[in-house]
Amino acid sequence: MSNSVFSELIGLSAGALLLTSVLTVWHRSQRASIRALAVQGFALAALVAVVAVDRKDVELVPVFLLVLALKGLVLPWVLARRPGVVGTERVRIDIEDESPLLNPVATLVAAALLGMVAYAVTWPLVASSPSAAAHAAPVGVAMVLIGFLVLVTRRRAISQLVGFLALDNGIATVAFLISGGVPILLEFGASLDVLLVTLILQVFSRQMRATFGDTDVGRMRELRD
Amino acid sequence: MTPISLGLITGLALAAVAIAAAFLPGVPVRSILSGVSTAAMSAAGVFTGALAMAGATGKLVVPIALPLGPLTFEPDRLGGLFMLIASGVGVLVSLYGIVSVHGASASRTSWIALAVFMMGMQYVPAAADVLSFLLMWEAMALGSTVLLLAEHASRRRVSSAAVWYSVMSQLSFLFILAGFAVLAAAAGGTTFAELALVSPTSTAGLTAFVLLVIGFGSKSGLVPMHVWLPRAHPEAPSHVSAAMSAAMVKMGVYGILVVCVRFLPGGPAWSGILLLTLGGLSAVYGILQASVSSDLKVLLAYSTTENVGLIWLAIGASVLLGAYGLTATSATSLLAALLLTVSHAAFKTTLFLGAGSVLHATGERDLDHLGGLGRRMPWTAAAFGIGCLGAAALPISSGFVAEWVLLQSLVHGTRLNGAAVSVTVSIGMPLAVAVVALTAGLAVLTFVKSYGIGFLARPRSDAAAGARESHPLVRVVLVVAAAIVVLLGLMPGPLASVLASVVAEDGARRPGIVDTIGMAGVSLPGLGALLDPIALVILAAVVAVPVLAVTIASALRHPQRLGASVWGGGGERTRPRMQYTATSYAEPVVRVFDDVLKPSRDVEVTHAGESRYLVQRVKFSQNLTDVIEHRLYRPVLSAADRLGVRARVIQNGSIHLYLLYSFAAILIVLIVAVL
Amino acid sequence: MTLATVLVDLVQVLLFAALAPVLIGVTRQVRARLEGRAGAGIWQPWRDIRKLLVKQPVRAPGSSWILRVAPLVLTISSLVLAALLPLVSTVAGRLIPGDLFVVVSVLLIGAVALALVGLDAGTAFGGMGSSRHMTVLALVEPTLLLAIYALSIPSGSSNLAIIVDSRLANPSIIVSPVGLLAMAAFIIAVAAETGRLPVDNPSTHLELTMMHEAMLLESTARDLGWLEFGSWLKLTVLLGLIGNLLIPWGVATTTDPMQVVVGVPAVILKVLVLGGMLSVGEVLLAKVRLFRVPELLAGSFVLAFLAVAVSAMVP
Repeated sequence: MSNSVFSELIGLSAGALLLTSVLTVWHRSQRASIRALAVQGFALAALVAVVAVDRKDVELVPVFLLVLALKGLVLPWVLARRPGVVGTERVRIDIEDESPLLNPVATLVAAALLGMVAYAVTWPLVASSPSAAAHAAPVGVAMVLIGFLVLVTRRRAISQLVGFLALDNGIATVAFLISGGVPILLEFGASLDVLLVTLILQVFSRQMRATFGDTDVGRMRELRD
Repeated sequence: MTPISLGLITGLALAAVAIAAAFLPGVPVRSILSGVSTAAMSAAGVFTGALAMAGATGKLVVPIALPLGPLTFEPDRLGGLFMLIASGVGVLVSLYGIVSVHGASASRTSWIALAVFMMGMQYVPAAADVLSFLLMWEAMALGSTVLLLAEHASRRRVSSAAVWYSVMSQLSFLFILAGFAVLAAAAGGTTFAELALVSPTSTAGLTAFVLLVIGFGSKSGLVPMHVWLPRAHPEAPSHVSAAMSAAMVKMGVYGILVVCVRFLPGGPAWSGILLLTLGGLSAVYGILQASVSSDLKVLLAYSTTENVGLIWLAIGASVLLGAYGLTATSATSLLAALLLTVSHAAFKTTLFLGAGSVLHATGERDLDHLGGLGRRMPWTAAAFGIGCLGAAALPISSGFVAEWVLLQSLVHGTRLNGAAVSVTVSIGMPLAVAVVALTAGLAVLTFVKSYGIGFLARPRSDAAAGARESHPLVRVVLVVAAAIVVLLGLMPGPLASVLASVVAEDGARRPGIVDTIGMAGVSLPGLGALLDPIALVILAAVVAVPVLAVTIASALRHPQRLGASVWGGGGERTRPRMQYTATSYAEPVVRVFDDVLKPSRDVEVTHAGESRYLVQRVKFSQNLTDVIEHRLYRPVLSAADRLGVRARVIQNGSIHLYLLYSFAAILIVLIVAVL
Repeated sequence: MTLATVLVDLVQVLLFAALAPVLIGVTRQVRARLEGRAGAGIWQPWRDIRKLLVKQPVRAPGSSWILRVAPLVLTISSLVLAALLPLVSTVAGRLIPGDLFVVVSVLLIGAVALALVGLDAGTAFGGMGSSRHMTVLALVEPTLLLAIYALSIPSGSSNLAIIVDSRLANPSIIVSPVGLLAMAAFIIAVAAETGRLPVDNPSTHLELTMMHEAMLLESTARDLGWLEFGSWLKLTVLLGLIGNLLIPWGVATTTDPMQVVVGVPAVILKVLVLGGMLSVGEVLLAKVRLFRVPELLAGSFVLAFLAVAVSAMVP
């Protein structure tokens, strides 16, 4: 792969990662944030693929598949699943819109500033290294920071999960860009951890939602009576 | 005797004449004589300033019996520019004052104060040593305080405004005094030439820099030292508020420019960041408060904070870029600061004098009670409209050119020969562009609101419906001021070349930075940008031809039909009260910036007797206070209050106690002397 | 300024003046077909304009000259834009380059004229539209300037013609992450500036949700005609600019007649395709609540800002 095409592709996937990170902050609707997260997973997979092709590293192929499957498909699907049957009645509860702690405009401006902080702290690295991968590294740091921001400012469990996963993606991005990928075993272990955490939290939040959903329905019954 | 010394002496003599004329009996005679002399003094100032700006030299030494030696006035090029600005505004304002003052503002005291104020303002930039600078600075502060107090008998808020103003201006004076003292101690002399020898990176230099920034920033009305501005400007008589806003706050700008360009040039990057931050904050905060204000003069006062903020931002950018070796962009930012200064002086004079005419004609400053003045006061409306164009930085006004140069210097400021220079600059410049852009957007809203609500639509009160056009002399002054706004906007090339030479060290025109191009356009060769407003106007005129032709042809065949009711569908159902007001116009902005403005709203619903579904009346009130004043100054003030209450114990009125204090004091002094 | 430049500029202005109503016709027609209606045909806006320009205007008694002059100002500002922007060709007059700050301020002039029309008649709806319009405009301003700033960094100039030229010479700028972020922000800003969905619904009939339309309520006949035409032209030239920034191929870089002959159909195609995409998008999108618009704009501001910061930091 020629150098310029490589740096273009790295740049493109880094751009997509950054854009999706901003989108997770931007959207109020949780469904849209989850969708953005899925796209982010694909972008991360693309990044892995680009690095793999560039280094002709066969070991990265399973990593690519793992990232694609887990971050692009499984995790978003887990998050987006609706609670099915609760008790004896079928309760249909849509994933609620987020009402964040900080007002959305302020959150967005904060995201912009965090992006800048990311670039500022990685400036020495970027300035010293001529490689395209190092130039994209600040994107990973920015994703970590923005993920944290989502984690801090959101109320709902699902949104917090989204933030957590965006943060994790950020760490993975930095890892791939700087070290050119992590050993497959490590990546596999980390991914499994993330999946487990997500599943537990998802079950937990479903339980919460089911409980509150029930009480809500109960109140509605009272109104009718 | 050089022409400059002659001009300076003439100015002082005319100031004396103006003061003497103020003692004459009879308001009309006094006003005419004193006003004309003040205007003549200012005209002399224009002459002197222009000469000094062109590079002529000359000095005036006033020997006075002080232990510190004589006062020296020797304007350099930069001083000449600010002298020109102050006295140019002075001419217009004094002429306006002749016919507009009445009542307490036409008293002897007021006319004397005006002469002193004008003299102080015009001689501050001419001063060549610390002593004369400070003396003139005090004359300016004192004169304006007395003028502000003129109407204290008729309006209660005047005295509160005067207290705020005098406290803030004395604080500012203290800081300036301290700053100069530090500089003078390090330099070993008090003339400006000696002060310039202090190293900008020495401890003394940096301490003096911070002190002077606080002092001059307070005079320029920068956030958070701006609190006096929205109080003093609205309460002062209109011609005085014009002079305060258009010229007096510029002395703060002059001060900081002298510090950055003459005394301590080449300061460290953080000093640039300090100025940039102060300026950016002031710009956004000022315009935000202006955009939600419905009092016309308060709005203009806050917009002054915005404009001065932009000027400081430009100076800060210049220092910051200079520190990283970007000489071309640094010089362009400095040029932008000067252009902004000149253009602000022009359009703010127009706007404040226009607002004064509105106030005179209707007795109202509240936009919510105005409307429809465009047809009743066409001259005022036209001049005010042009002022609004300038303040909103739209073509073809002077404000547009200034903001264009500023933006050009900012967007080209991150790179030197195609490479990024520093992370600070790379973050600072985009932020500065965002700040300038947000400010520009809100400024457009603010001035569309003030023109559209005040001069268009239908009158919202009887006072507005009965407004009459102002005195012919006032009209002339307004038209001249508005014409200057347009002229400066149409011919930026020569103006920019002159301004660039003003801050150049050797005074030479530097073709690398700025050039005149086309008819009177400005070109920035270092940045590869050019702007020729006249060519733009010609282009607009050319494309306008077919549009106008179609319109005229159609108008000849189908003249308009008047008399249909407004959105009435055939019936006269809408009343002027149903129009949008300034408050409702700004409501979306209040909502969007809710967290910054912290408005307090109150809706009171009175129900009709029979049913709670029938509403008899709804009363809505909204109160917007200055958040900074509320959060920053109130706690300090109340702490001071509490301290005062405590301190009352030692002053209980007993004569014996006071004698005891004196006795103790003598004892202490004696003991200390012995030791 | 050579005669050839003047001629090319003239061609560009005339072309866009003629194209604007057609573009609106196309977007309406596409929308109608997608919604299962027959539509009025793509020439209907032309017929509307012709009809409006020859009718007798009815004006409110309290209104001032603004009601008469502002529509002309809006149209002229749009025509000036058509002359300044690199649409058919990137050649520009020596004294009037398409400097981006000048372009933005010409846009602002038109917007201000429209806002004053809304206030002039003294109705509640007009004021409401004007107030919302100006608020959106004030918030769009930072995004718009930063987005163009980001686009200008790779070419080192604030001249739009040079920006398009450099994108043509070096297409990798277009698909670079910075370029994409900046374009996304720019497109949102343009949608807000021209009053399209999701910020404003151009085909609404409910006064309370109106922005653009509310300001026109009091205008009739030629006043209304010019206001409509000016707004359409503004949309058309901005779409043309987006088209040339995204796909710069086909634009004439010299005054060579052959290039211009290619440039004209190229830009027509770009504008019409973008117009079609716009109306497809508008069928799918819903209008955002007014007080969610700041969120939308803040988001696009973040994109533009990141784009600028990223490209300013590349050593």
